[in-house]
Amino acid sequence: MTAQAMIDEWYPVGLFSQLQPAGRQTALMGEPIVVSSDADGNATVTGGNGRSLPVLVRYGHVWSSLGQPKKALFPIPEADQPGRRFVDVGAVRVRCSPLRAVENFLDIAHFPFVHTDILGAEPHTEVQNYKVEIREDVDEVWATQVKFYQPQAAKSAAGGITTEYMYRVPAPTCSVLYKTCPPRPSEWDVITLFVQPLAEDLCDVWPWMALFDDDTSMTDLIHFQQTIFLQDRSILENQIPRLLPLDPGMEIPTRADLTSIAYRRWLKRRNYTYGAQLVAQ
Amino acid sequence: MPSDTTGFWTPVALSADLPAGTVIPARTPAGSVALWRSEAGRLAASADRCPHRGMRLSHGFVRGEALSCIYHGWSYAQAGNCLRIPAHPGLTPPETIRVAIHEVAEADGVIWVAAGVPASKPPRLDGLTPLRSLTVLAGKDAIETAAGGKTSPDGLVETAAGAGGVWLLAADDGQTLVHVLVRDDAGTKDRIAASRAAESLRRRAENLQREGIVQ
Amino acid sequence: MKLYDYILSPSCYKVRLMAALTGVKLDLQPVDFHPGLEHRGPELLALNPAGSIPILKDGDLILTESSAILVYLAAKAAAEWLAGDKPEEAARVQQWLSFSGRLTTSLGGARLHEMLLRPGDIDALQAQGISALRELEAGLVEQSLRGRRFVAADRPTVADIACFPYVALAPDGGVSLDPYPAIRLWSRALRSLDGFIEMPGIHRLHELKPEPLIETGEA
Repeated sequence: MTAQAMIDEWYPVGLFSQLQPAGRQTALMGEPIVVSSDADGNATVTGGNGRSLPVLVRYGHVWSSLGQPKKALFPIPEADQPGRRFVDVGAVRVRCSPLRAVENFLDIAHFPFVHTDILGAEPHTEVQNYKVEIREDVDEVWATQVKFYQPQAAKSAAGGITTEYMYRVPAPTCSVLYKTCPPRPSEWDVITLFVQPLAEDLCDVWPWMALFDDDTSMTDLIHFQQTIFLQDRSILENQIPRLLPLDPGMEIPTRADLTSIAYRRWLKRRNYTYGAQLVAQ
Repeated sequence: MPSDTTGFWTPVALSADLPAGTVIPARTPAGSVALWRSEAGRLAASADRCPHRGMRLSHGFVRGEALSCIYHGWSYAQAGNCLRIPAHPGLTPPETIRVAIHEVAEADGVIWVAAGVPASKPPRLDGLTPLRSLTVLAGKDAIETAAGGKTSPDGLVETAAGAGGVWLLAADDGQTLVHVLVRDDAGTKDRIAASRAAESLRRRAENLQREGIVQ
Repeated sequence: MKLYDYILSPSCYKVRLMAALTGVKLDLQPVDFHPGLEHRGPELLALNPAGSIPILKDGDLILTESSAILVYLAAKAAAEWLAGDKPEEAARVQQWLSFSGRLTTSLGGARLHEMLLRPGDIDALQAQGISALRELEAGLVEQSLRGRRFVAADRPTVADIACFPYVALAPDGGVSLDPYPAIRLWSRALRSLDGFIEMPGIHRLHELKPEPLIETGEA
């Protein structure tokens, strides 16, 4: 696999709120990097050979790249909307392909079995038809009109509701989820999964949220999302192979997997194959 | 491990370690398998990978006569065909969705999985009762040296003085699954002693392996 | 009773699990352990200078160390979870309560390293974790030969609850549970108990419920 097509993308490498002058050692696509703050409190990222890497700070995180990003980081307009609370959930390391982590985030059919009694519960296992497209103008994968019955859709949800979702993949290792906002039905809660590829089969996952919820404590909001992600983690670490198979013969999708099919197709078309397995082994 | 030209049996687990309605992971020379026993008691072994998203089926669950994947609940029959896809309750899964299965045999308290199509049945363990299975991070040679005996054609090693019982070996790359057997008439005290002796033998075999004394 | 709690902490989970199994109602006070490191902040250090959670507050009583809290809950609500008056059983409960501390440092340390990026010598932590699992496996084999299903008796005790979480979550720290059949049976027996609750990383035993009849919509 080559990193070439993905090398010019932006990746999350740390929380801005936790920057330290001493720096934090981490990695990006196999290269050791150091993420630190300079004398003025600005984020700096240093690559393996001491070179300065591109930096930007957005959505609570420091972003960097081993290459030369040709475009700005994808927009999330809700990040500038007044009244939202922004939640830095913190990193969780997972021994899996960064692409597998994103694909799992795009999946709803696992809710009753993995997030039992929170995001799903038997007998409500059916996945209704929804719409998926690759939006060529913005070069993003979108799934809309996704509906699922959830016993406790959010920390702010009082009981079971049918939740509506929209998924968006604006970058190969990032996804943005728009979800029914229980306290404010006219708005969407925004839940993101920003994935830092440490290696092809190892990643740090940085969930981040922009919610309308004035009642729940910040700690409760963090713990809700950490609970969900940690339930996924034991799945992600036990999928075989660790890399995401792009060979259509390797795994069998159904109609419920249309988002994943589009995501894999988009990765392949764009040559976003760092963390992917192209040929069955 | 008895073998012939068409296939052979590997002792993968003890019957007592696989109650009805459960699934466990097992290693065979043909790869990892999900070994499961239905509620009615029927044994089956399938490849340890759900063809939908690659999740290990040994992490799944057994309901009635089907094994289900923990990820999306896809269920499989003993014959390997997919029975149910919960995301599409109205759908009869096509015949093409299936997991590879292996032949399983159970006798004298030991479960065997076939690689290929063995011409004969697994060997009988007359007069012996299985006590426990343990994984030794050493090859067969180190284990034989530690145990002070040679492996019989049936895969059995008599430990020196019999204190560690009789060992039934299933070798793998670099690690060996050992099933400790004792005489049928061994009392509780002897069984506990055999279990402890097996721990000691494992330590010796692993030391031998680590120090490179045997390969 | 107020528990200073972190949903991902196996030590806090011991207390939540014990309370659920014995019908004790806890008032949970979530602590931002990760990424906020709130357990090392002034408020919690005032309650527990060791800077660890769980912390249990019951009126004026403040308890730290999960094993002590388990004993407190059991003594208050369900004495059958404590050791009986047989000397061997009393000793075995203590033996495995002490042993559980080694699970915390080894398997727990490996888990924090592999999952939440805490420092540590991962090879050493995993090796110590494997040694501890082998000890528990051998202990459970011997118990079963004596006709007992749990670490200290033929009924679950605080010692089982003290050992279970770090063992069940060993794979989070990169330590496989595949080689331990006795641990698997024991874990299943605990997970099947009435009132058992999970924590993230320990899945529901879906087989405990029958397969549901599913109504199909527009299939």
